Amino acid sequence: MIIAIVLLVALALLGLPLFAVLGAGSLVYARESGLDAALLIIELNRLATSPNLTTIPLFTFAGVVLAAGGAPQRLIRLFNALLGWLPGGLAVVTIAACAFFTSFSGASGVTILALGGLLYPVLTKVHYPERFSLGLLTTSGSLGLLFAPSLAILLYGIVSGVNIDELFLAGIVPGTVLMVMLGTYAAVTGRRFGVSHHAFAWHVALRAVRASVGDILLPILIVVGIFGGFVTVSEAAACTALYVLVMETWVHRSIDLQAQLGALLADTAVLVGSILIILGVAMGLTNLMIDAQLPMQLLEWMEGSIDSHIKFLILLNIFLLLVGAMMDIFSATVVIVPLLLPLAQRFGIDPVHLGIIFLANLEIGYSTPPVGINLFIASQRFEKPILGLFRATLPFLALMLVWLLLVTYLPTLSLWWR
Amino acid sequence: MHLLNKLRAFLVQLETWLAAGSLLLLLLLALLQIVARNLFDTGFAGADTLSRYLVLYVMFFGAALAVERERHIRIDVCSAFLPARARARLYRPLQALAAAVCLLLTVAAVRYWRDAWQYAPDHERWLVLTALVIPLGFGLLCTQFVLTALLGREPDEPA
Repeated sequence: MIIAIVLLVALALLGLPLFAVLGAGSLVYARESGLDAALLIIELNRLATSPNLTTIPLFTFAGVVLAAGGAPQRLIRLFNALLGWLPGGLAVVTIAACAFFTSFSGASGVTILALGGLLYPVLTKVHYPERFSLGLLTTSGSLGLLFAPSLAILLYGIVSGVNIDELFLAGIVPGTVLMVMLGTYAAVTGRRFGVSHHAFAWHVALRAVRASVGDILLPILIVVGIFGGFVTVSEAAACTALYVLVMETWVHRSIDLQAQLGALLADTAVLVGSILIILGVAMGLTNLMIDAQLPMQLLEWMEGSIDSHIKFLILLNIFLLLVGAMMDIFSATVVIVPLLLPLAQRFGIDPVHLGIIFLANLEIGYSTPPVGINLFIASQRFEKPILGLFRATLPFLALMLVWLLLVTYLPTLSLWWR
Repeated sequence: MHLLNKLRAFLVQLETWLAAGSLLLLLLLALLQIVARNLFDTGFAGADTLSRYLVLYVMFFGAALAVERERHIRIDVCSAFLPARARARLYRPLQALAAAVCLLLTVAAVRYWRDAWQYAPDHERWLVLTALVIPLGFGLLCTQFVLTALLGREPDEPA
């Protein structure tokens, strides 16, 4: 068994698709335990009983349509008109636009591709240092991860069984705190390098708001719809998909439905398929591990070596930062969360708070080597070496670590609404 | 090779249609349910279950397409630091290995499905039929991995 585990880890590190690694692990484990491999398929089939499962493809579709339409350009124009007058001007615009866009596009790297390419030349043109601009755009690729209807939140909710509405609420303050912290740093840097920022102009702001009123309304409609009790999360996902499709096709006319609909649907399916297949295969393995009482054994071991809530949180953060550096957020959610939940509950951590801590750690992992997806995508997009980009992100990562401490040790930030 | 390329092109086309069609159907079904529930105070029996199965359809056909598009999630910490030549040499064996895993999962899925069909009460037979996507999906994934293992990828060809 140990040889099989070592071999599978080696194959994973060499690039075997993660779902195949988990599938192979499940098959080996089932064989070793004398169980029928068909049990794994029963667990996969159980995926079809998850109540909010439909939200993942539908919200993802909305994000894909927004990305293919003119949303990135409209958002930059809007936030530039509304926030560009602030100290730090364009950098603050970058943070706001990236956070907004990522909450819909699912932090799959699309933000850096769609917005980074537009913003990088402008940031350097207004005399932001190159390193600052690269660091900002690289870390901004995962900003907004804690805002509704982010794919990471949906997946955590489905895997953990935690109410997705509550997770949406819990992410608002921590997400905003991070934006304010990074915005303040951007303002200080802007002032230090004498970066100019334009004066606020009502007519420009009104024109920008008029052009993107549909985009601004979207998160408002989702939040009001769900928390006003008008629609369920699943219904909100379907309405969002339809709304975005109608806006991009008939209002903004940025999408030719006849020519592009098939490709947009297929692109969404590829994104959803590559994530959910891991979830489907991992469900079998997770169940086998639970049957073998692995979480219980882990719990017993931890109870022997950890005696306080604070110690557990410190270890949790160290562990999750390491996980974030090695795995992408979706695989980590599927594999790690079922093991973490009973441990966290034993140490009195609320599952909703755990979700925010988990996602905050993994958000940092997006920009840390060796598996920082933001670093890879930014390296391709800006044609810069990964190590150079990592160096550029260091001040931002330092700030994010401070934020992580706040989010972890001040549960009120996530649970204020209770 | 020409025949394999044609087979791959056909499969990709088929999977694209099936993935896109399943997602579109899922969207339409969800919207129809909202309209029926809110305007007519009614709903379609089994629509919620069918919607969730449609997610499995999107998942499998999307995952099969992801093989061809090289979009499957990998940890690949080591391979990122390997020279391009070594990476190219690893490509086919890894695809073949993924195909083998999918084949074993297909066999397990077929066994599961056969049992489910045998023991399902009549009124649940339609549900078992929709679950046919599980063996079919793993079978498609296996075929795609076999094809990529045999055909390799673009930079692989000259070597």
